[in-house]
Amino acid sequence: MSEARTTPEAKSSQKLIQKIFRSQEGIVFALAVAAFLVFALLLPAFASPGNLLALVRSVSILGILALGMALVVIARGIDVSMIATMVVSVSWAFVLARSGYSFGIALLIGVSFALVVGAAIGALIAFGDVPPIFATLAAGSVIYGLGRTFFFKLEMQNVPPGNDWFLFIGQGRILGVPITIVAFGVLCLLLHFILSSTRFGWLTYAMGNNPAAARITGAPFRPIVIAQYVASSFIAYVAGLILASSASAINARLFNSTMIYDILLVVVLGGIGLNGGHGSVRNVVLGTVFVGILLNGMTIMNIDYTIQNLVKGVVLLLAIVVDSLVNPRDEQTSQQGDL
Amino acid sequence: MSDLVEFRKATKAFRGNPAFRDVDFTLRAGEIHALLGENGAGKSTLTKVLAGLYPLTSGQMLIDGKVCALASPADALKHGVAMVFQETNLVPSMSVAQNIFLGDERFFNRLRGVNIMAQQHLQGLNFHIDPTAKVSSLGAAKKQMVEIARAVHHKARIFIFDEPTATLTPEEKQHFFILLDRLKSEGASIIFISHALEEALAVADRISVLRDGQLIVTDAASVFTRQSIIQAMVGRQLTGELYGRVGGRRRVRPPGERVLSIENLSMGKTVRSASLSIFAGQVTGMFGLVGAGRTEIMKIAAGILKRNLLHGGRIRLRGEPVRFRVPRQAVNAGIAYITEDRKLDGLFDTMGVAQNIFLGKLAKRANPIELVSMRDAIKQSAEWMTALKVKSIGHNVRVVELSGGNQQKVVIGKSLIQSPSIVIFDEPTRGVDVGAIAEIHQIIEKLADAGAAVVVISSYLPEILNLSDRILVARQGRIVEEMTIDEATEEKIMYAAVH
Repeated sequence: MSEARTTPEAKSSQKLIQKIFRSQEGIVFALAVAAFLVFALLLPAFASPGNLLALVRSVSILGILALGMALVVIARGIDVSMIATMVVSVSWAFVLARSGYSFGIALLIGVSFALVVGAAIGALIAFGDVPPIFATLAAGSVIYGLGRTFFFKLEMQNVPPGNDWFLFIGQGRILGVPITIVAFGVLCLLLHFILSSTRFGWLTYAMGNNPAAARITGAPFRPIVIAQYVASSFIAYVAGLILASSASAINARLFNSTMIYDILLVVVLGGIGLNGGHGSVRNVVLGTVFVGILLNGMTIMNIDYTIQNLVKGVVLLLAIVVDSLVNPRDEQTSQQGDL
Repeated sequence: MSDLVEFRKATKAFRGNPAFRDVDFTLRAGEIHALLGENGAGKSTLTKVLAGLYPLTSGQMLIDGKVCALASPADALKHGVAMVFQETNLVPSMSVAQNIFLGDERFFNRLRGVNIMAQQHLQGLNFHIDPTAKVSSLGAAKKQMVEIARAVHHKARIFIFDEPTATLTPEEKQHFFILLDRLKSEGASIIFISHALEEALAVADRISVLRDGQLIVTDAASVFTRQSIIQAMVGRQLTGELYGRVGGRRRVRPPGERVLSIENLSMGKTVRSASLSIFAGQVTGMFGLVGAGRTEIMKIAAGILKRNLLHGGRIRLRGEPVRFRVPRQAVNAGIAYITEDRKLDGLFDTMGVAQNIFLGKLAKRANPIELVSMRDAIKQSAEWMTALKVKSIGHNVRVVELSGGNQQKVVIGKSLIQSPSIVIFDEPTRGVDVGAIAEIHQIIEKLADAGAAVVVISSYLPEILNLSDRILVARQGRIVEEMTIDEATEEKIMYAAVH
């Protein structure tokens, strides 16, 4: 009743608010803004330009990995082997470089390894009909075990000496912006272009939306699945290089860390449903920013690492619950009776 | 005899579409009651209401004279109703004994104790089944026995069998009928859904025929003949309004080139040595009842079902032998299969109309790094949106929000944009509103006029008669009858389809 009396502008703004709160994306956006404001008010150090830059920089690795994850999740897959691929391919490249190969060749071998691994995982899923979660979970252990047994023994692999240009990637700046952030931005644009404007991107959405329909329609199902996992492995390698360059070393221990869950946190929180078919790069950016604010704020508040993990876990659970409520699978089929 | 179960003015509708309406059905104590009718006549739905799978939309269901609303199959079992499904409902990896006691286990189960109890129970029923055998190792008939044993164990007194004999060998069928008699002599009441009229006539005490969701006739089995049942199953008054040309003469398209020929195709139990040919420039109608293997035959031809190499048969496309392993190969060879279940494998449901149709084109294109845009999608799909009269809806409306008819048109558009030369429509008008049925039929006719080889699989006789130039009738995985439209009548087709 009161709606009849409200002005058109008020109405449209009401609609906008409704729209924001009806989508998970909107809710996360609102939460991110709220968290930002709360931290900015409570923690004097938080809103300083230096800290904000550090914030974005620290999560951009996570953001890059989340881009790769987003690609497979949109196609109703998941790739939990990304960290293993990342640490093993980069570590191996460094070991090779120190054992006499030129650094360029070593990096090439590293990337080839990542691509081969991606293709193998993709083939396992496409031809072997192995559910992606199991295929990549097992593949992750295999890759890590292979690496630690045959390619390198030490956990920590330093960037080979004499490659200062390489360190520039992680530590340098372009026009005052850290290259890490620039790289995240460029990869975002690239993936956005692939998803929205290529045949591969459209078929990826179609496969996530309804795999059976995509198959029957005649989409090159298997090649596309393989291409997706090759892409996510490649992105993992790129992320690994940037990580190694900013820290001057890569630590294989990351495989045992919670990093893969942080990536999933970014993807799911950003609003890319785990049941596939929707979401875009915008969601990854949103998720990355929110997780960044959360982690940075907690770090400044000096919250214990274990508690941080607890908070992340709770947020991830909430996000998955909200995701399944907002994007129910089979809302139609459950209604349809059979005659 | 008293009425054990009674339906009064019972109606069950799915989203407004009635599966059956105003049905007054009674099941007497201690009788075998056969329920007959075409696919989609509402037989299964009626029995599923009794088995507690669906609630009634309106009307009443009485068990033992008391109004009942069953909440679940478990609830139905408490009232003594057990349903034995066409696809058995057993846990294949567990033993016979474990299955019999499923849902009724004690807190501690000693395997030996369970086996002994099951053994006694099975012997009491005179079933020769090893209680320790795994269910997955049993044949269809034995599985059915296990289900019956389970139902008896749960003290069921009303048994519902949905197509119990469809998967049985003749010998197994005899055992099954003996079993029915024994159940009856022990006081159980049985509802028996079947397409096999002879069986119904031989076994049942009473027969009910359903047609288009209405109960046409119920009477003692001795009153019926095969002929009168078929007439009750197919006789329609409404047909004339919906399908104006039924019965009227029309131009029959002559067969063109033989584009697809299938010889002795076999796959498992569903397709047994089927042979047929499809010609360009005409509509070939395929009729058959549930389990006749029509869909499977065409799905194999379209590469959707992969054939086991051990099973025989040859498929020739324009004379060339082909064996498609994935649908993509068939699509590229010009075969389009338009699914019978658009929600399951037809639509990209959260995408727009234009995008859905355009994806058909995208899926077929060869260049993998081709650039696409929404504008492209709208432009390319515009032609088919106009032809299918879905233009007015707007290209961005998500297909989830469309009516069944428009959804079906989108699925059709998605395939036709690939410009196929062989188009297989599987139940093209299932769950489609009346207005859209006529439009879809026009599309099918136009395709054939334009020279495509069109196959229409349908369980609805008027649709087959209205569209086809040539009719194939499938039964038990074979093509048993081929006729031209001039020789075909509803009775003749139905006569070939039942067994």
